[in-house]
Amino acid sequence: MKVKHPATILAFVLFALTISIVMYRIIWLKYPILPTVPGQVWQLSFEASIQPEEREIEAAIALPTEQAGRVIAEERITSDTLSFNLFQEGANRIGLWSGMSDKEAAIITYKSTLLLRPRRFPASQNPTLSTDMPEIGREETAFIERLGEKWKTLDPQQRLKEVSSVAGGRQEAGGVSREDMEAWNKLKDKHGESGAMLILLKAAGLPARSVSGLLLVRGIQTSPTIWVEAWDGQQWRDLDPRTGQIYGDKSALLALTTAGTPIVHVTKGHILDTRWSLERQIMSKWRLHFERIKRSQHILDRWSFFSIPEEFQNLLRVLFLVPLSALMICLLRNVIGFPTFGIFMPVLLALAFRSTGLMYGIGIFASLVLIGYTARRGLDRFRLLLVPRLSVLLTLVIVCFGLFTLIGGKLSLRALMGVGLLPIVILTMSIERFFILIEESGIGEALKTALGTVAVAVITFFVIQWEPIQLTFFVYPELLFAVAGVQVLLGRYTGYRLSEVIRFRVLTG
Amino acid sequence: MKFQIFQGMDDIGILGMNRRNAEYIMRYNARARFPLVDNKVLTKKLAQKFNVPTPEIYYVIEHHGDMAELDKALEDHKEFALKPARGSGGSGIILFVDRKKEGFVRQSGATMSREEFNYHISGILSGIYSLGGQEDVAIVESLIHPAELFAEVTYRGVPDIRIIVYRGFPVMAMIRLPTRASDGKANIHAGAIGAGIDIKTGVTLTAVHRSKVITHHPDTGNTIVGINIPYWDSMLVVASKAYEMTGLGYIGVDLVIDINRGPLLLELNARPGLQIQIANNSGLLKRLRSVDDAFSDSNLEPEERVMWVKESFKIT
Repeated sequence: MKVKHPATILAFVLFALTISIVMYRIIWLKYPILPTVPGQVWQLSFEASIQPEEREIEAAIALPTEQAGRVIAEERITSDTLSFNLFQEGANRIGLWSGMSDKEAAIITYKSTLLLRPRRFPASQNPTLSTDMPEIGREETAFIERLGEKWKTLDPQQRLKEVSSVAGGRQEAGGVSREDMEAWNKLKDKHGESGAMLILLKAAGLPARSVSGLLLVRGIQTSPTIWVEAWDGQQWRDLDPRTGQIYGDKSALLALTTAGTPIVHVTKGHILDTRWSLERQIMSKWRLHFERIKRSQHILDRWSFFSIPEEFQNLLRVLFLVPLSALMICLLRNVIGFPTFGIFMPVLLALAFRSTGLMYGIGIFASLVLIGYTARRGLDRFRLLLVPRLSVLLTLVIVCFGLFTLIGGKLSLRALMGVGLLPIVILTMSIERFFILIEESGIGEALKTALGTVAVAVITFFVIQWEPIQLTFFVYPELLFAVAGVQVLLGRYTGYRLSEVIRFRVLTG
Repeated sequence: MKFQIFQGMDDIGILGMNRRNAEYIMRYNARARFPLVDNKVLTKKLAQKFNVPTPEIYYVIEHHGDMAELDKALEDHKEFALKPARGSGGSGIILFVDRKKEGFVRQSGATMSREEFNYHISGILSGIYSLGGQEDVAIVESLIHPAELFAEVTYRGVPDIRIIVYRGFPVMAMIRLPTRASDGKANIHAGAIGAGIDIKTGVTLTAVHRSKVITHHPDTGNTIVGINIPYWDSMLVVASKAYEMTGLGYIGVDLVIDINRGPLLLELNARPGLQIQIANNSGLLKRLRSVDDAFSDSNLEPEERVMWVKESFKIT
């Protein structure tokens, strides 16, 4: 086999390095492989204002728990002047706000981001009976025995359906008599809807418990919803105690407490107002993943770029794509053969387009080059030396920026006000280059170069604007090594440029 | 990597920009030697050492202060060329044929005032025309009078002959003929004609103008094909010597023919362009490779190398 060129070896070392770090992250640190699939994300926020009782407050609020099919990506708690404690109470997770408050009302808030994967239910849970089963007297026992006798031949799923139809006031099947229905209605009056349903489920021999939580719908809920969960032998099913309806979609409910624990329990003070609000969010899996592993102890996780403040993260996310843009320039110039002003001018333009938007960016670039060119023509008469002449052009560019910003301000066009980020010095040099190119090689050549510059900038812009790429590089910064590897390989590309096909077409005929 | 779309170029043996840069310029042209060819003052000094004739230097303006002495230096010369030492592609060069009270008369007939003249020199000194934008010096040198022969196929200016010299072998040549479009400059990008030359005989072959194949000069209407270029053999030897002069393995040697002094070395170029292939209707890579195939290490004299080339690159 032919001995590989050292540059090729270097490139492959860089690739190997990248692959090994990426694999380490995926296999050992369990990074998601497809980072950008948006998950089903809900933003839950809870707010309560509590009036202190003798300047003291103690309030226990049930918070969502992590379980299969539900991941808490992020939690934020504000406690006013109170102290906050978190503890586990059975299956429930309770936040306890307590302390002194001089205010008329203390505001406490809780915010979390929840990722729900509807297809992943709690696989099987030990079906424990509810502890909030109403007291069972003679009347109830008779009812339970009567119905139990009728339903004993049915399998659990069918029994659940019977329960549903009885609770819904429908008696068409299963031999439920009018007498049973009357007894049922009495039970409802006596124990409340969910209490009665628990008794009904006991009659059916199905383990059951009442659950408090929220309906998973966008909007504000001022009080929690209570429903009943019953074990049908395979999974927990949710029943609406008012209508008897079995909820089909598990993800339509967000359970907060089971076994009758109240969601909001204030032992000192008075609740003035509670509100839960739910909003849907699109969030990439990376983000979710990293919000969660912020607590991870792995060195690569602790040194992840996700641990730096958000505003720097955004800057870095873009900066990490600059090498990729440079790679694009290598490709477009050396393999395709685009003519451009300067080597990295298009990258800087593309970065500037991020704040102006594409159309305005191109418009500003075009008008600046045009204004600059006109001015440069005029300046030629004054015979200024090179450096002072460029300085005058630079001043002109800045003045134009100022004007654009003013116009942008008047028209409330933020895009026009973003011009400050255009690479001014390089733009100035481009104007001079453009002028000299027109003088020496004609307008055609100059326009070709200007168009080439814009085309490369636009292509680069789309690459660095593409969020999946941004995130991928941010999560796997080692990909930069691979980029360098490709750059090294391109540096050894001695083949033809695509543009040379046209250039030498007279020869190839 | 082979792509179908490049097959045509590959078959003819065309040298592309990437390969030129990576395999020839970077490999054979040591960076440290670039100043020898980028700066015309250095090139001329070098040529003198090797007894290669060049246009005579009248004066070199290194600083603005030197301009005061210029009049004295130009006392005996009404005709002269003003050029930047580091210029490329003929930019910044102005030819003067006479002097009046108001100023200098350009070849085009226009008069350039003293003020304009000084401004132009300032521009040269501040590096407008220099390759990397560095400060530069201005050269005032003798004006070339082209051989009569070329008057029929030249619009103003002076035609020059470009010879690509690879490891001392003059592998390909063309003559660049100024046109009205090129404003009298022998610069192909500016619109000059490039005509390929048969290395063996020194006779022009095909011509290209603005990437179209032509046979007649667009301004004078005279035929460009079949012109017998004088001093051909000695020009090949001068070009070949440039290898020993500079130590650069891949260069473009630009020569002009003065009616009185014969062939003169005008300048050298360490990054010669690829248009010469179009002018010759032939690929350069093929010839570079046949040099490599014949000589892995040559210690031939320039004359011997010219002999070899004339035998090897015959047009059949």
